[in-house]
Amino acid sequence: MFSTSTQSKSWMFNNEDDLNKLRESANLKHIQTYGRHINEAARYDYFLTAEEEKIMVKRYEIRLRDFCKRFQPPMTRCVIGTAFHYFKRFYIHNSVMNHHPKEIMVTCIYLACKVEEFNVSIQQFVGNLKGDREKATDIILNNELLLMEQLNFHLSIHNPFRPVEGLLIDIKTRCTLNDPERLRPGTEHFLERAFLTDVVLLYSPSQVALAAVLHAASKLQENLDSYVTDTLFGVEGRGKLEELIEAVRAIRSMVKMVDATPDRNQQKLLDKKLEKCRNPENNPDSEIYKKRMQALLDEDDDLYHTISSTSDSLNTSALNMSVCASPEVT
Amino acid sequence: MEDFTCPRCKTSKFQNPSLKMMVNVCGHGLCESCVDLLFLKGSGSCPECRIPLRRNNFRVQLFEDPSVEKEVDIRKRVLRDYNKKEDDFNSLAEYNDYLEEVETIVYNLSNNIDIVNTNKRIEQYKRDNRDQIMKSKGKLGREEYELEELLEFEKQQQELRKQEILIQESESKKKKIREKEALIDELMFSSDNAKNIVETFVQQVKEAKEEEAKVVPTKKTQFSSGIQFGRQSQTSFLPVPVEDGPLYSYKPLTVQTDGPKLPTDEDVLTRGYTNHVRTENEQERAGGFKSNIACMRALQDAFSGLYHTRKTVH
Repeated sequence: MFSTSTQSKSWMFNNEDDLNKLRESANLKHIQTYGRHINEAARYDYFLTAEEEKIMVKRYEIRLRDFCKRFQPPMTRCVIGTAFHYFKRFYIHNSVMNHHPKEIMVTCIYLACKVEEFNVSIQQFVGNLKGDREKATDIILNNELLLMEQLNFHLSIHNPFRPVEGLLIDIKTRCTLNDPERLRPGTEHFLERAFLTDVVLLYSPSQVALAAVLHAASKLQENLDSYVTDTLFGVEGRGKLEELIEAVRAIRSMVKMVDATPDRNQQKLLDKKLEKCRNPENNPDSEIYKKRMQALLDEDDDLYHTISSTSDSLNTSALNMSVCASPEVT
Repeated sequence: MEDFTCPRCKTSKFQNPSLKMMVNVCGHGLCESCVDLLFLKGSGSCPECRIPLRRNNFRVQLFEDPSVEKEVDIRKRVLRDYNKKEDDFNSLAEYNDYLEEVETIVYNLSNNIDIVNTNKRIEQYKRDNRDQIMKSKGKLGREEYELEELLEFEKQQQELRKQEILIQESESKKKKIREKEALIDELMFSSDNAKNIVETFVQQVKEAKEEEAKVVPTKKTQFSSGIQFGRQSQTSFLPVPVEDGPLYSYKPLTVQTDGPKLPTDEDVLTRGYTNHVRTENEQERAGGFKSNIACMRALQDAFSGLYHTRKTVH
């Protein structure tokens, strides 16, 4: 039930400005932590601005979608939706410069597979990736806990897909629309685009679903307005109708604004900039990262050594005892 | 008891299987033959503690530890004088004090502690309570009397039951003989078919037997010891403490859907909602998942949150 979920309580935001403010503060926090040595004026020559970060996130959202579509075995829509949610939520409170979206993206998808019970092993999963698969495995598994922590462990996601099914059932039952199945392709297309915007962070899944269905209907020159006002909301929902109409309008306009073809030149520039300014502590190619990992590994080794040595001494003492206890042969 | 040896002649149970150990008021054991030998005159002294003893005070040792025998003896003697009952006291505390005093005296005497003073105390008590002691002796304890009565009553009952059984048995024997004779008479003098007569007789016997079985033996209302059935329930557990406070009242769970009113489970089935979902297959039905559940969930998800208004987080 969405109304009692963590999604409703902690991950629904008032408007886009609130979201942008949060993202800006994440950006500022990162710069303040890692950019003290650079003076104010030159800061944004080196670091990404919040706006640039947003563009990066948007681009990786598209990549996320494409990756999921090409994934073998084919994923259910819920996995994709959930991965989108995770990815969006992560970059509300985190800077792109701290954790590279490329890494967080695959981790989000991997975690979404688990949560949505789409059963793939890590080998199967990295099989869908290009490049060094061992490294990818390490990155995903190292980032998984971090991601969950940043999500506050709020892992269950309410996607708009089931509400669409519910609405279609309701339309078939209570509305005289001719062949409601025709709405499906339009609805799916709308939802796919909707995930590239922030609507899922601003509106409830059922509202997004309703907007998708209404959009699909208007594309087919059908009118479902009377169904919504009279049948769905009825008498007791009359007071709430205005709010809903406003929400549907906002969702549709936001989805219409989606620009799915980003500027390639700008992308390249941003990529280069990010490569320079990203936090080396979290970059698996950097020396610092390798050192850190090695230190962690050594720590583990040390721990292992101490444990094994104590258990060794225990073993020998046990042996001594058994020697003493055994009857002497003379 | 196996490794008993007489302290005087050193005879053991192993050497003489019929060895009988005797004991007197001092608590020192002696075997029967030694008693015969030493107390030939009827009185003598204990070979261990030199206390003058009488022969007719010797009795067979019942307990393994002879000191227990001594204690039993002393207790008997003390209680002959200290024979007050609970009824003779005003309060339970006083009675308890009295019992404790008795126990102290018995303990002192049997463990040779302060014997002179203890004996003096007994003498003093005897003098002080002479009248009362005499009276109580006559009473012989009401309880003992009652017990005897009960035993007597039980014996009578048993006797009665035996007689009843005997009478019943003889009666049934007589009855059988009578029936047989009647049957033979019938066969001799009646003009009916012999087969019919036998059959009717068999029927009669059967009926009579059934009737007998129906007579339920009288229900007993007490145990053989005379205690009423069901008496025990009076000494049952303590009552469960009842907590005072407002009683719990059930409030049905209401689901806040934050959306339009959902169709009820019945509506889903009757209004044709389920016509638009896939029917469950056999395996799903076996698990209890019917199509109306899936349908209901989809509708719930579609309706829940439709009234959602954007609100500030935190």
